[in-house]
Amino acid sequence: MLSGVAAGTAAHLRQDPLVVRVAFVVLSTAFIGIVAYGLLWLTMPVAQPGTPEAEAPPRVGWRPRSRREVVGLIVLAIASATLLGQIVQWGTSDLVLPLVLLAIGLGVVWRQLDTDRPLDLPGGRWALAGGAVLAAGGVVLLLATTGQLAAARNGFAATLVILTGVVLVTAPVWRRLLDSRAVERRARIRSEERAAVAAHLHDSVLQTLALIQRHAEEPQAVSRLARSQERELRAWLYDPAVVREGGTWAGLVAGMVADVESDHLLTVDPVVVGDTPVDDAIAALGAAAREALVNAAKHSGAASADLYSEVTPAQVSVFVRDRGKGFDPATVPDDRRGLRDSVSGRLTRLGGTAVIRSAPGEGTEVELVLPRTTAA
Amino acid sequence: MTAPRVFVVDDHAMVRAGVRAELGDDVTFVGEGADVASAVDGIRATRPDVVLLDVHMPGGGGRTVLESLRAELPEVKWLALSVSDAAEDVIAVIRAGARGYVTKTISGPDLLDAVRRVADGDVVFSPRLAGFVLDAFAASGPGAPEPEEATDPGLDLLSSREREVMQLLARGYTYREIGSRLFISVKTVESHASNVLRKLQLSNRNELTRWAATNRLL
Repeated sequence: MLSGVAAGTAAHLRQDPLVVRVAFVVLSTAFIGIVAYGLLWLTMPVAQPGTPEAEAPPRVGWRPRSRREVVGLIVLAIASATLLGQIVQWGTSDLVLPLVLLAIGLGVVWRQLDTDRPLDLPGGRWALAGGAVLAAGGVVLLLATTGQLAAARNGFAATLVILTGVVLVTAPVWRRLLDSRAVERRARIRSEERAAVAAHLHDSVLQTLALIQRHAEEPQAVSRLARSQERELRAWLYDPAVVREGGTWAGLVAGMVADVESDHLLTVDPVVVGDTPVDDAIAALGAAAREALVNAAKHSGAASADLYSEVTPAQVSVFVRDRGKGFDPATVPDDRRGLRDSVSGRLTRLGGTAVIRSAPGEGTEVELVLPRTTAA
Repeated sequence: MTAPRVFVVDDHAMVRAGVRAELGDDVTFVGEGADVASAVDGIRATRPDVVLLDVHMPGGGGRTVLESLRAELPEVKWLALSVSDAAEDVIAVIRAGARGYVTKTISGPDLLDAVRRVADGDVVFSPRLAGFVLDAFAASGPGAPEPEEATDPGLDLLSSREREVMQLLARGYTYREIGSRLFISVKTVESHASNVLRKLQLSNRNELTRWAATNRLL
């Protein structure tokens, strides 16, 4: 009932919790019950919320973790039991009130601290303060009734002076301790960062360098490897995380360019101004732009192409330009359907436009414009 | 056209040799520096037309060289050359005073063209740099002019023509192609590009600062 000990014990012994509680109360009259209850409370494992046995609210809170803590707590319990026994022997009735006050105060404080609830809840704070006041009142009353208040005050003052002195004397040591901890922490962060960079370089750059050495006889393979590694490293170093992780137009363009470059002998320098999340229309625009790049790679004969994309509130536009041999758009045979279907058709279905400017010998530029009002 | 006098600053000997080989006899090499100190001394002594400047170097990087010499040698033109195309590097070196930015993967003829253009007082925009500019000035579209006190409002906005030029540069057009596309002369395209570069260097508008902050620069 108090902190789930009875329920826990009952669950362990497969008894009705009521029986266990009655047993505890009976034992408490002989004082053993209280001590047993306290010990069980400190050492009992915390029930997992949701397990069938946990019919009583499971105790969630601080548990002594290490063997040393357990031993310390047992010693504490024995000491307090002895003290209590002596007090009971004295049997003076005017001690009962301060002891009860003290016990209630301690109980409240422990209950408050021994939970997962954040301490800054207003109710928790007041209860904590009330408990502390109760306990302090109990101590003062206890000392007053036993006539040791003056002695205790002297002792308290002396302790305070000694403690202050010790703190002042050892201040440089504390300071140095804190400083060295900060330095240690910084060094650890640095070395972790270094390890991350090393891991990344190993997975990417060193692997590629090894591949390049193996393919030294094939200039095309070497330049393709170097190019893709350069792009990857550049993205890792400079691109904002949102571009690297994808999900936006700039990331989509970067990935698309990487794909085209690795499949075809074409280097593309993408320049993207502005950004927007990817939706179906944007994805289709990306597919059309990809088709335009592939066309440039296959038919223009140029080794490089420029891709420029600008995102404005009104529209997303893409320009793919190559300086290849170009063609006359009027004379494209009907069986060459790449541009017409994949590029123009796609854009028309989305309410956008595709314009192809080209002339023999002057290269080609494909302009794709997607209005964003329909995309939104 | 006389061959421009070029000074190369890069901590990698292989890159310096490669640049020399690619530019060949079309430019005059007056020296090279492998670190900040030797670069500063060498540039001071030789007074080149164009300095090809590596952005990442031990001892402070190309930006340090640029900042320590720019006021002293205003006639020297700076062209940043780097493997990095991170926004912070590009914008930082442009704002420090470079007239252009090209990556080390640029082809020999393109590099020569860029050096000549910078030597003639023009600016060099790679498609990526144009994209960064559009990104940085993105919030200042025609519909969203933002009145701001204490600064020249012209510095904080791209005109629609400048925006067009930047977009075409980002699409991979050359100045000549942009001129014929927009029916303006190449000189006009160049002056638009110079204006944009000036705005990028001098503007302290809110968006640029914020954009720079999100990209961890300045």
